[in-house]
Amino acid sequence: MFGSLDISTSALVAQRTRLNVIASNLANQHTVFDAEGNYSPYRRKFAVFAAGDPANGNDAGVHVRDIMEDDAPFRKIQVGVGNPLADKDGFMEVPNIDPMTEMVNALEATRAYEANITAAEATKSMMNSALRLLA
Amino acid sequence: MIEGLFNTGSLPVLERMVQFTSQRHKLLVNDIANVSTPGFVPTDVDPRKFQAVLAAAIDQRRQTQGGIYNGTIHPTDTEQMRFTDDTVQLAPSNSNDNILFHDGNNRSLESIMKDLAENTMAHNAGIEMIRNQMNLMDMAIRERV
Repeated sequence: MFGSLDISTSALVAQRTRLNVIASNLANQHTVFDAEGNYSPYRRKFAVFAAGDPANGNDAGVHVRDIMEDDAPFRKIQVGVGNPLADKDGFMEVPNIDPMTEMVNALEATRAYEANITAAEATKSMMNSALRLLA
Repeated sequence: MIEGLFNTGSLPVLERMVQFTSQRHKLLVNDIANVSTPGFVPTDVDPRKFQAVLAAAIDQRRQTQGGIYNGTIHPTDTEQMRFTDDTVQLAPSNSNDNILFHDGNNRSLESIMKDLAENTMAHNAGIEMIRNQMNLMDMAIRERV
């Protein structure tokens, strides 16, 4: 039964990683410059899960296989031809992030996190009652 | 195991029940962990099948012993369950009775959580009944209530 706690923990870690990625997307929804100061709109990132827990060498559990970038085209907003970042028609590219999508994903990740907490609580209650046989 | 003390009455049956529920718990926890993994199909073992095997084993013990409920029970292995001396090994099947989502996962969080709650309660009830049997024995040994 101790293996069950490892499985729940692997899922908690994975869901929290996903929430981190979502938080980063929300924080950067207006970012158009990269860290070096070059014009390069922030691309939406997302976590991809895969079954199994290689960190523990376990078949059961879940892990983040990759954090990938969304290839969807950047959104374009009209800023006028005078803007130094605008193209010849007066449009400028901004990150391909929709805050609503991110919020819904964040909610889903939170619920999945809570479900795993519940599972861990159930494991603890089972272990407790089994251990009480000894006392 | 002390012959005639720990393998009489309901104790061997309860032992099998606790073994099964703790193994099934692991499957359910894994299903919950993979609730947002694309392509993952939840796995489970039907507890009704386990109960049928267990009931058959109890029946068999009753028939061979003629009314005295002593001795360990010997459940027969099935495709999904293998009964060894100290555990039940589960070979779960994929459950295909939910809507298949576009990511190839046919999760149903509600039914998994229900199964988890049910399984936890069954496990705790089994443990509690074993505890009661132990208390009875303790009382008999000490000769006081």
